[in-house]
Amino acid sequence: MSDTVIDITNLSKSYGRNIGIEDVSFDIKEGEVFGFIGPNGAGKSTTIRILLNLIFPSGGSARIMGMDVISETKKIKQQIGYIPSDANAYSSMTVLEFLIYCGRFYGIKAGNGRMDELSELFELDLKRKLSELSMGNRKKVAIVQSLLHSPRLLIMDEPTTGLDPLIQSRLFDLLRTENKKGMTIFFSSHILSEIQLMCKRVAIIKQGRIIKLEDIEALRSKQLKRICIWPGEQEIAEKFTISGIEGPVSRTNDTVTFMYSGDINDLVRLLAAQKIANLTVEEPSLEEIFMHYYK
Amino acid sequence: MNMNLFLKEIRKNAISLILWMAVVILLISVTMSMYRTFVNNQSQVLGMMNLLPKGALQFKGISNFDDLFSVMGFYAVNNVIYMMLLGSIYAMVLSSNILLKEEYNKTADFLLSWPLTRSEIFLSKLALVFLNVLLLNIVAAAVGFVSILIVKTGPFSLKPFFILSLYTFLLNLLFGAIGLFISTIVKKPKPVTTLSIGLVLIFYFIYTISKITESAAQIGYLSPFKYTNMDAMKPGYGLEMWRVIFFAGVSLVLFTLSYRTYRRKDIYL
Repeated sequence: MSDTVIDITNLSKSYGRNIGIEDVSFDIKEGEVFGFIGPNGAGKSTTIRILLNLIFPSGGSARIMGMDVISETKKIKQQIGYIPSDANAYSSMTVLEFLIYCGRFYGIKAGNGRMDELSELFELDLKRKLSELSMGNRKKVAIVQSLLHSPRLLIMDEPTTGLDPLIQSRLFDLLRTENKKGMTIFFSSHILSEIQLMCKRVAIIKQGRIIKLEDIEALRSKQLKRICIWPGEQEIAEKFTISGIEGPVSRTNDTVTFMYSGDINDLVRLLAAQKIANLTVEEPSLEEIFMHYYK
Repeated sequence: MNMNLFLKEIRKNAISLILWMAVVILLISVTMSMYRTFVNNQSQVLGMMNLLPKGALQFKGISNFDDLFSVMGFYAVNNVIYMMLLGSIYAMVLSSNILLKEEYNKTADFLLSWPLTRSEIFLSKLALVFLNVLLLNIVAAAVGFVSILIVKTGPFSLKPFFILSLYTFLLNLLFGAIGLFISTIVKKPKPVTTLSIGLVLIFYFIYTISKITESAAQIGYLSPFKYTNMDAMKPGYGLEMWRVIFFAGVSLVLFTLSYRTYRRKDIYL
């Protein structure tokens, strides 16, 4: 049995001239909680849809538990659960009928203890029709169906959309418990705080490309500083440049602001040779670090 | 094929099938209940028929007025058209939406996350289309048969009845294949019901034009309706194998093309 649960290599998907994702590569180890973060339209759902064989890649390969996502999709799906972002279920069914229907695909019979336990945890009204449910309640149904068969891998696409804070908290507690039992979790979201809360490692995707693949803690401990200088003289403001500046330099009439990851001594030496009015050096928040990569 | 999916589709489509059956039963039984009145008033009916344009009679498949007063002739002229047209519309609407609705209702996200292959999904849905079209045809044929038994005034031959029923079923099945094929090639996930009904009506219109206009007879071959033979009262009327092979063959080709397309189709929601 492979230690790598998801293995994506140079995965690409284009829609005519438009690029969905390009050269996406990463792997997820057994038992890992892996975050996949990016703004809307960055390529998160495209990647997930290829993993689920909803769409076909234009290039590269993706394997789950060592199996090809196209040719061995049925075997893969016996061992995975999926929470879609839009939890649109079959409107004519009641919640119970839907869960029984889902369960049958995995050979789970009605009256299964797991079904009752999960339905109770998420306070599902089993007799209600799916068409009568709010977005949040439909999401709860989607969560329950994804976990019915105790999957080895859970893929979640924006799982907390529509959920109230109490249910979100229950979901995270349940995910932690399932993860301790060995379930691998692939958590796609555009909300940093929930990725930060749950995940050990994260891939940041922007315009279809992975721009950072790192441990959350490593990201946090990056020597990235936010430097804000009040140059005093317009000339300095216009010419100010030093290696180690990450991303764009923001200039206003009074200030020069940038993210800096170079040697702080080089910066001090440069500034010492200038006449500046003021200087601040700040530790950016994790949110800012992510935003920095998004820009 | 996956039985869980197949049984769910049966349940989901049961009400619409029952409603279509009810409409067909009503139309056939009401029309056939008029047969005896029709026969008892032959002279008035013939008077009326003579006032009708020749084209209208040709279109109805009436070449000899005497045929119209036999129970099988009356059935063929009046009722088969219901099932040719209504059955085809039913088959087309059902098949064109059976796969596509998973996309425009956004339920494909669930369906394709469960342990199913594309082939199993396709074959389960195809089986449902086949079953429902068959059931509708069986009910129509049964009602037609019972109506004939009730209203007949003399002996009648069963052979043309079975041939008419078989052609009607094959025609409906071909429209089912066309609908399924359309649903697998459309890129945007939205209902194609209007397109489906429109296509059946356009094909029927082409067939009608070809029947009543001699100069346009050739364009009839563009329409599947042309490949049936509903002239049940013509001497020597029998099962023509080339027609059966044509319908079965074209349907099979379309089902195969749909299957191959669906297996490689990108499902967008």
